[in-house]
Amino acid sequence: MKKSTYNLEFKLFFRNHSAWIGIIVLLLTGFAGLYFGKSFIANQKAVIEKAAVLQKKNTLENIEHFNKDIGLIFFHNKFSSANLPDQWAAFANGQRDVNPYLISVTMLAVEGQLYDTDINNPVSMLLGNMDLSFVYIFLFPLVIIAFTYNLISEQQENGVWSLLKSQSNELAKVIWQKFLIRIAAVFTVAFLLLVLAIIYLQLPIDTTLFAVTGLIVLYLAFWFAVSIFIISLGKSSSYNASALVAIWVAICIVIPASLNLLLTQKYSVPEALQNVINQREGYHEKWDLPKEVTMKPFFEHYPQLKKYPFPADKSFSWFWYYGMQQMGDDQALKSRLAVADKLAARQRFTNIAALFFPTIQTQLTVNELAGSDLGAHLEFQQAVRNYHEQIRLHFYPAIFQEQDIASTDIKTVGLKAFMIPKVQDWSRLLPLLIWTLIFSLIAFKNLKSNALIKNAQSV
Amino acid sequence: MPNITVTIAKQTYKSTFGNRATLVLTILLGLSLCLATYVGWQNFRTQNNQRLHYKNLVREQWLSKPDKHPHRMAHYGYLAFREKHELSFFDFGIESFAGVSIFLEAHKQNTVNFSEAGFSNGMLRFGEISIAMVLQLLVPLLIFFLGYNSISAERKSGTLKILLCQNVSWKRLLWGKTFGIIGVALTIFIPLILLTILLWASLSNWEISMDAALRLLILIISYSAYFFVVSAITVLVSAFQRSSKTALITLLSCWIFFAVLMPRIVQAMGSKIHPTPSKIEFADAVSADIHEQGDSHDPNDAHYAAIKDSLLRKYQVTDVKKLPFNYGGYIMAEGEKITSAIYSDHQRKLNETFGKQNSFTVFAGLLNPYLSLKQISMALTASDFKTYVNFQNQAEAYRYGLAQKMNKLQIDKISNISPGEHEKPLSISKSNWAEQPDFNYKFDHLNHVLAHESLALISLLFWLSAVLFLLQYAPRWIKTI
Repeated sequence: MKKSTYNLEFKLFFRNHSAWIGIIVLLLTGFAGLYFGKSFIANQKAVIEKAAVLQKKNTLENIEHFNKDIGLIFFHNKFSSANLPDQWAAFANGQRDVNPYLISVTMLAVEGQLYDTDINNPVSMLLGNMDLSFVYIFLFPLVIIAFTYNLISEQQENGVWSLLKSQSNELAKVIWQKFLIRIAAVFTVAFLLLVLAIIYLQLPIDTTLFAVTGLIVLYLAFWFAVSIFIISLGKSSSYNASALVAIWVAICIVIPASLNLLLTQKYSVPEALQNVINQREGYHEKWDLPKEVTMKPFFEHYPQLKKYPFPADKSFSWFWYYGMQQMGDDQALKSRLAVADKLAARQRFTNIAALFFPTIQTQLTVNELAGSDLGAHLEFQQAVRNYHEQIRLHFYPAIFQEQDIASTDIKTVGLKAFMIPKVQDWSRLLPLLIWTLIFSLIAFKNLKSNALIKNAQSV
Repeated sequence: MPNITVTIAKQTYKSTFGNRATLVLTILLGLSLCLATYVGWQNFRTQNNQRLHYKNLVREQWLSKPDKHPHRMAHYGYLAFREKHELSFFDFGIESFAGVSIFLEAHKQNTVNFSEAGFSNGMLRFGEISIAMVLQLLVPLLIFFLGYNSISAERKSGTLKILLCQNVSWKRLLWGKTFGIIGVALTIFIPLILLTILLWASLSNWEISMDAALRLLILIISYSAYFFVVSAITVLVSAFQRSSKTALITLLSCWIFFAVLMPRIVQAMGSKIHPTPSKIEFADAVSADIHEQGDSHDPNDAHYAAIKDSLLRKYQVTDVKKLPFNYGGYIMAEGEKITSAIYSDHQRKLNETFGKQNSFTVFAGLLNPYLSLKQISMALTASDFKTYVNFQNQAEAYRYGLAQKMNKLQIDKISNISPGEHEKPLSISKSNWAEQPDFNYKFDHLNHVLAHESLALISLLFWLSAVLFLLQYAPRWIKTI
């Protein structure tokens, strides 16, 4: 008996055109998301491979070109670092379009080079990437809304409701059946796309997969809970549709966008501009000051380099030059840390906002899990700083002693590829769960109570 | 009998505001708009003041540099900041995704850095609330909510038949309903525009330029046209659909498709079909071309050897050190000329590629009034891609001028005999630095903006005429019952 009613509901659901339209829209946009997301990351991977080739080629060219002058070779020679994309980055491109994934720096002051952007089209960044995470976060909720908004009201509007009511004592059960069919349909599509993603994007079966799956399940469950909450109020189809779309617009666009405006206003980052100025002045002013002003703090910073004789009597030496460059970085240290503080404050603000808005939470979490968030980029920046320092200390002795370039191992330095370790913060799932439970419980209470039946009679 | 149209319009307007839910929705939207306007305006002031502060600081530091070799000054360079147009608080456009500052130095073209997006942890991806965003996205949604049942409800209640029997033609009904709904939209829009004008005037220190005033005027006309298009579509959908529910679902689906899905997909297609070169490939292509033209750093380079020979012949000397001017400066000026021409050529091609990517979105405006209005709005508020390219070009022109100015000073004022290893380096008086003017960005003239946006303007006009045509001639296809 029970099975047959499920069968009937199932048939009823799939006989509906809008059900198929919803499913087809999700599948098509899902395929588009997979395709564009993958090609975006594939392009970055191809560029990183080219960069590895160019690194060697450019080094050899610089050696040939400036052969006689080791200081000049290092003035020109760039050392490239790549932020290798995680396989999941194709699933959620995140901030990888905005932030450079390839940073090439010479041995000069790193703060003047670290923030150089990639070549990109600001219009494309404004309109946003088309990846699978977009489909899950923005489009799935809309289809959930489309599937559920008239679940009860349609029966009322068709006049079936009173019939149903008279035949079944457990209205909640009937609604539950209808609801389950829709949940099953949406989750089938969601899992189908996830399986396709695993195959097409070659995603590893690891904890990230479980975390992403958990995230998607909870996020979709949240939207089902919101939907059933609204329909449990027993209003008309039009009211439900309007209310649900309004909620979607509010928490997918208006509220995050307003919070973002507030964030930019509250935590603007003039320190970044100050940092550039500090670095530039810190280095350039040294040209007009006694060499002592540069070399004293330089040797304090690097006592181990004191053993190399400094040609104080020469009007120019590479030793002094690289010392001055170092001063640029040293004098920018404070403003650099101020920028980092600002960004950390922004992150805290966003994390708090995310507790209340599952859309923000899901977006942040999925980017974090894909290693394509701002945090991963800042880690990469820090890795480049460390690498730059390592390169400096490695080649300083040869430059300061004006050795032949052949005595160094510069030719063996290839592209440095970083795989930034990802953050997996399971606690981020908790607020999603709580919101889902809250809405489900209220809806459940509404459905159990007579309110709905009373409303139904008044329609 | 146009007064019937007016009567219907008035009736629609009143009944819309009579509905408590819509009243609340409208007031909420209006309030959030005012808030967005205020915060956007504050944001504008903070950011622009920061940029102006650093602009002045950079100028001060430039002028205070001591006597030194002009080539040192060429490497000290300049920092240019992208100023915002005073109307950009209305529409943020690409502002947050475009860099803010660029370091301008000899021999080297740098990127424009520190975009707001670079500091964003992903929240920016939901969009930014600005007046333009609310007017482009949310007001249409409100219009849909207000008007989805404008005809279909009359049909359901049976009043439609009565109306049509009482000498009210379909045409008048559609026009009346459209005017009624647009009236509601304008109730929000007009006070907002007045507020915008006030804030804009205060940003311009109450000195309003003709150019900006015209920009705002065209902006107001465009938005009004857009609201008319949206209102008319709402009424038409309501007339064509059999029930209010299907009318609402149709309108909402259209909104999602045109406002959320289509912009992303179209732009993604543009980027896929006209791929952006990577930075390293770009740099490699530039340096390959420079290598081919001649390398000023290479003493054996054929191009520069020929210059050297011709100079020696012209001045009848045997060594460049005997030339009556600074030879190094002369060669650097030549090198700067060649490299910057090559770079600019590549940059122009790159911008053409971006232009091709964006053209997908521009053409999509013919199918999507939201996209065409978006283009127009960004262009008029100088927050569009073209303004950004303009900034890049002006910054590059300034960079080139600065480098050549310093080369000229070197050619004219620096001795041709380099000092020895232990001697004091050559320098010139710091009084020369003031000769290099400050960098001042100039916004494009409105005429150019309009010419560039002609397709978007035509698209909007096309939509306007299409709905006008439909309001006039659609009734013959509408079923009354």
